[in-house]
Amino acid sequence: MTDKVLQMRLGITALLAAIILLVYGIPNWVSAPSNVPKIVLSPLFWPEVLAWLTGLAGLGLILFSWRDKGVATEDRDPAAPDSGARGRSGDTPRHAYLRLAAMAVLMIVMMWLMPRLGMVWTAMIGFLVTALLMQPRIPISTLVAAIAVPLVLYAFFAHVAGVAIPQGQFVRLP
Amino acid sequence: MSFLDSLMAGLALVGNVEAFLALGIGVAIGVVGGAIPGMSATMAVALTLPFTFTMTPITGILLLLGVYKGGIFGGSIPAILIKTPGTPASSATVLDGYPMAEKGEAGRALGMALWASCTADLISNLALILFAGWLASFALSFRPPEFFTLILFSLTIIAGVSGNSLLRGALSALLGLLLATVGLDLIYGTNRFTFGDPNLMGGLNFIAVLIGLFAIPEILSMVWNPGAHDGQARSLGKNWVTFADYRKSFKSIVRGSMIGVFLGSIPGIGAAPSAFLSYSEARRKSPDRDNFGKGEVEGVAAAEAGNNGVAGATLIPLLALGVPGDVITAIIVGAFMIHGLQPGPMMFVMNVDIIYGLFIGLIVSSVFLFLVGSVAIRGFRLVADIPRAVLFPAVLILCVYGVYAVNNNLFDVGVMFAMGWVGFMMARYDVPAAPFLIAFILGPLLEDNFRQAMLMSGGSPAILFSSPITWFFWALTGITVAAIIRAGLRAARGETLPGLPAKPVQTSED
Repeated sequence: MTDKVLQMRLGITALLAAIILLVYGIPNWVSAPSNVPKIVLSPLFWPEVLAWLTGLAGLGLILFSWRDKGVATEDRDPAAPDSGARGRSGDTPRHAYLRLAAMAVLMIVMMWLMPRLGMVWTAMIGFLVTALLMQPRIPISTLVAAIAVPLVLYAFFAHVAGVAIPQGQFVRLP
Repeated sequence: MSFLDSLMAGLALVGNVEAFLALGIGVAIGVVGGAIPGMSATMAVALTLPFTFTMTPITGILLLLGVYKGGIFGGSIPAILIKTPGTPASSATVLDGYPMAEKGEAGRALGMALWASCTADLISNLALILFAGWLASFALSFRPPEFFTLILFSLTIIAGVSGNSLLRGALSALLGLLLATVGLDLIYGTNRFTFGDPNLMGGLNFIAVLIGLFAIPEILSMVWNPGAHDGQARSLGKNWVTFADYRKSFKSIVRGSMIGVFLGSIPGIGAAPSAFLSYSEARRKSPDRDNFGKGEVEGVAAAEAGNNGVAGATLIPLLALGVPGDVITAIIVGAFMIHGLQPGPMMFVMNVDIIYGLFIGLIVSSVFLFLVGSVAIRGFRLVADIPRAVLFPAVLILCVYGVYAVNNNLFDVGVMFAMGWVGFMMARYDVPAAPFLIAFILGPLLEDNFRQAMLMSGGSPAILFSSPITWFFWALTGITVAAIIRAGLRAARGETLPGLPAKPVQTSED
C-alpha cells in the first residue's frame, strides 16, 4: 500500500463520517432544548463544529494525497506480516487475518461469557486461546500461567481492592 | 503558606514507608516494563493504574510516577542489548549503544545510560520544582477564554508533532474530541450520542479508552505477527562505565538535560526529538565526533540525558496548567481524577501538600532509579526471556480485570475491546494515538471553557481575543501551525533536520 492510497482512504473515511454525522448522527442522536438563547451555547454546536472540522481534515487528506508521489509504505510497519517480516515460517497474510478474526471472536465470546461463567474462568479461557493464537503448541508453563494469573488477579481485586468480580452462575470462588 | 510550611506539609504526606515503597516498586515495574520488548513505558503506566484505586492519592500517584521514570530508562536496555528500543525516545540510544554492545561493551553503555539518566532526571525534577510553582501562580489569573486558547494551542501542537502529518494528527485529535462529547451535555444535561443507554450517560470511561488504545493494540499486533520483537540479547561484556567516562560526557549530559527540560515543558514535543537533538548537539560539539555512530559512550550519555531530561519537565504543564504534555502524563491525569484531584493552578492553592509531596518523591525517585537500574541491567536476560505467549495473554487478562475494577462494570470492558481495535487500525493507518487520547481528556475542558466564555460574553466570540494572554496563545497556535506546515513541506522535499534520522528507528511502541 502506498502513502497516497493510505491518505486517500483516510480522507474518504473522514469525509464520509463527517457527512453521516452532520446529516443523520447529530440531528438524531444529540438532543437540545428548544429555548437555547444563543446557538454557541446549544448542545448541538460543539459536535457540529467538530464534524465540520473532521470533514475539512478529510478533504485536506484527499487533496494532499493527489499531490503525493505515491511512495510505498510497506516498510512502515514491520510488525505486519504482509510487510516482508514474517512472524513464523510459512506464515501468510491470510493466516494473520484469520488470527485477527479469531481474536475479534474471542473478545465477543468473552463479553458474553463473563456474566454467565464468571470473570476468572472466562479469563482462563481467554488466556489459553490468545496464547494458542501466538504459538500453535501450549507448553506447561503457559498452562500454569493461564490458571494462576486469573486466580492471583482475582485474589488481589476481590480480597485486597474489594472489587466485586463477577462470579458467574456455576462455580463460585471464595 | 510559606515555602518551608509547604515543604513540611509535603514531607508529612510522603514521610512514610508506604509512599517510598510505592515509589520504589513503581520504578522497578517501570524498568521491567520498559525493558521487555513489546511492552512500553506507556503500557506499564496504564496497566499499573488500576492498582492505585485503593491507595491514598499521593501513594498512587507516586507509584505511577515511579513507573514513568523507570519505564523511560528501561527502554534503553533492549535498545542497547537487542537493538529494539523499548520506547520511541530510546531510538537515539541505539545509534551508539548497540555498536558498543557489538564490541562487547554493553555493560559500559548501559552503565553510562543509567548514570546519564539519573543525572538528567535529577536536573529535570529540579526544573519542575523551580518552574511549576511560578507558572501556576501566573496561570491563577487565567479565565475561561485564556484556558480555552491555552488548550487549543496544546492540542494543535500535540496533533502537529505526534505523527508524520499534521492532518492525520488533527484527524486523530478531532476523533478524540468527538468521542469526548458522548454523554450528558455539560450545561443542559441533554443526551449526546447515548443511544438511550444509561452506561453512556456519564461518557466513556477514560481508563477503558486509554487501556484500549495503548495496551490492546500491542496484543493485536502480537497476534497479527507473533514473531515481532524477537531478538538475541548481547552479553554485558567485561568493561564497566568509569568515573572518567562520566566526567568526559558530563557537559553533554547537562546540555542534553537542559534540552530535555526545555522541550519537555512544551506540551506534545515528547522525549524522542529531545533525545535526537541532544545527541546531535553532542556530536557537533564533541572532540570525538568521528566516533559517533560507531560506539561512542558520549553518544549514549547525550541520548539518554535528552530522553530523561523530559521526564520531570512534562509534569510542568501538567501540574501548573492541567495540560498533559504526552500520553504518560495524560494517564497520570487519570490517576489524579480518580482520586478527585484536578491538576492545574488551583492545586497549588488547595492541595499544596500533595504538590510538595510529589516534588519530594520525584527527587527520591532519581535515587531509586539508580539502585533499581543497576540491578535491572544485570537481570535483563530474565525479563527478555519471558515467552510472548505468556506475557501478552497475561496483559490481556490484566486489562480486563483492571478496566472492570474502575466502575465494576462489564460495559467498560467492551469499550476497552472496541477502543483496542480503533487503536490497532490507527496504528495500521499511521494515525497517531496520542492526540486522540489527549483530546479525549482535554475535550470536556475545552468545551466547558468555551461555553463559559460564551456565557460571560453573551455569545460574542470577541471575548476569545480580549486579553494579551489570549492573543499570546493565538499567536503561538498560528506559529505552530505555520512551522508544522513548513516542516511538512520540507519533509516532502526530502530534507531532514540535522541530527534527526531520515526514517525513525522502529520501536516496540510504534
